[in-house]
Amino acid sequence: MLVLGIDTATKVLNLAIVNNSEVIIDYKVNRMEKTHSTLILSALNNMLNLSGIKLKEIEGIAVSIGPGSFTGLRIGLSTAKGLAFALSIPLIGVSSLESSAFSWLSLPGILCPIIKARRGEYYFALYEYKNKDSSIVKDYQCAKWVEIKQELLEYRDHIYIFGDGIEDIIKDEKIENYGHIANIYFINNSLNTANAVSVALLGEERIPKKECDDIYKLLPLYISKSAAEVLIEKDPVLIIKK
Amino acid sequence: MKETIILGIETSCDETSAAIVKNGRYLLSNVIASQTEIHQKYGGVVPEIASRKHMEFIMIICQEALDKARLTLHDIDGIAVVPGPGLKGSLLVGLSFAKAVAFALEKPLIGVNHIEGHVYANFLDKELPETPFLSLVVSGGHTSLLLIREIGKLEVIGQTRDDAAGEIFDKIAKYLGFNYPGGPIIEELAKKGRNDAIYFPRPLLNSDDFDFSFSGLKTAVIYFMMEEKAKDNPVNVSNVCASFQKAIIDILVYKTFKATRMFKVKTVVIGGGVAANESLRKEFLKEAQKKKITIYYPPKKLCTDNAAMIACAGFYKLERGIIDSYNLEVFTK
Ligand SMILES: [Zn+2]
Repeated sequence: MLVLGIDTATKVLNLAIVNNSEVIIDYKVNRMEKTHSTLILSALNNMLNLSGIKLKEIEGIAVSIGPGSFTGLRIGLSTAKGLAFALSIPLIGVSSLESSAFSWLSLPGILCPIIKARRGEYYFALYEYKNKDSSIVKDYQCAKWVEIKQELLEYRDHIYIFGDGIEDIIKDEKIENYGHIANIYFINNSLNTANAVSVALLGEERIPKKECDDIYKLLPLYISKSAAEVLIEKDPVLIIKK
Repeated sequence: MKETIILGIETSCDETSAAIVKNGRYLLSNVIASQTEIHQKYGGVVPEIASRKHMEFIMIICQEALDKARLTLHDIDGIAVVPGPGLKGSLLVGLSFAKAVAFALEKPLIGVNHIEGHVYANFLDKELPETPFLSLVVSGGHTSLLLIREIGKLEVIGQTRDDAAGEIFDKIAKYLGFNYPGGPIIEELAKKGRNDAIYFPRPLLNSDDFDFSFSGLKTAVIYFMMEEKAKDNPVNVSNVCASFQKAIIDILVYKTFKATRMFKVKTVVIGGGVAANESLRKEFLKEAQKKKITIYYPPKKLCTDNAAMIACAGFYKLERGIIDSYNLEVFTK
């Protein structure tokens, strides 16, 4: 089944097409002059041309719903909804923590994707893969690095930590890339923070299982549902008179 | 005659709207999800909440607009959408969605400036006037004087240097203790008051350009209220509302008709939320009759933000071959 994957949760614009668990094309744009919103359809058009696939042949769309940059997520999801709406095909939302873990599933141990949030906090979750079946060791949440570190040190297993949140942590902890603190191993690979391939593969698995999302109701994973309210309390200037 | 069906999408502030318009003239549907109640408790629009609500509503509203028009996406000949001005997060939802739909259907994408859209709220049931014409768009977000020399293009010849006219209505209403949005409450009270009871200043009335400034007027009203309170004088709030409203309308009328002389135009088109104000309509008509100028007003329900006006403007742009690429970007100002 031809599935288009869209990941705009980070500063990397990443689109991919997979078919029957194989990657046909993985299209990444890092260091963009313009925004995701400006470039996403050009990128899609280029990718279709390069792969020789027609948009009408796509049978499903999988999109990263975060956590991640609110603006990036809204661009990705609005675009995915528009495409799925116009093409009348299923849409699947995939957590960016899950897709991040999925791309490292061959590592022997617990996987800890970590994504930068606001106010010095990080989104993270813990997954374990056994024979390609994943189990959630700890569901996603948001916390400061000191708290996360303390928690990870309590595990006996190796923990592999990766994702865009890692850059600041490595700097603060003065760790070399692929270095470790006790059982926590750090993998810093900035291009691996976008995972359209994993998003598409996870989506492809779910479509036949009828695990598609209600295309009308699918929303980004904002995690802290009251973030907007918190913002208002802190910064009343954010209220705009109409 | 060939039929051209346009789907219009508008998400620039706190209203998610989709509309279907045939040949620029026949409104087949106009669906609006308003968030006013949600934002009311904060006393204004909260951008992050507005963006989230647009994401929730966008597809449901588009589907409903199609259903009400008894059409499917395949009947659409073009998609008109607002890239700005407005709130970035809100604009991005509507624009990204519209671009993707247009791209997938291989249909033209037509970007319509939100302020330009308000002008076209006048033409859903009538022919376009002859060019050139002037347009005054007054709402809570904008106070702009536009010159339209050619359909599909516009020149901003004047705009507010501080608050928008509608914003001043809301701020004065808030000061007087009324809920947001307070513009309509002021209008109601003004009906019971005398508009010559108190003299409030008309800032920038005699400036050389066509710009507006209202913050001095706001300060004058607040100062007046404070002084009266200090003197323990009973204040007739209806008189304050009527006199304040008269000051705003005087400025708008004076500047607009100064521009009709300067640019030698015979038609003035009013638009925007404040265009629903009865006294404003009356004063403009009075002045227009004196000066033999034709005035257009939109129907009241099309004064506030809606997608019908965007689809209408989109039709006339498409007819002239003015379309955009799928790289169209949002702009906030
Ligand atoms: Zn408006």
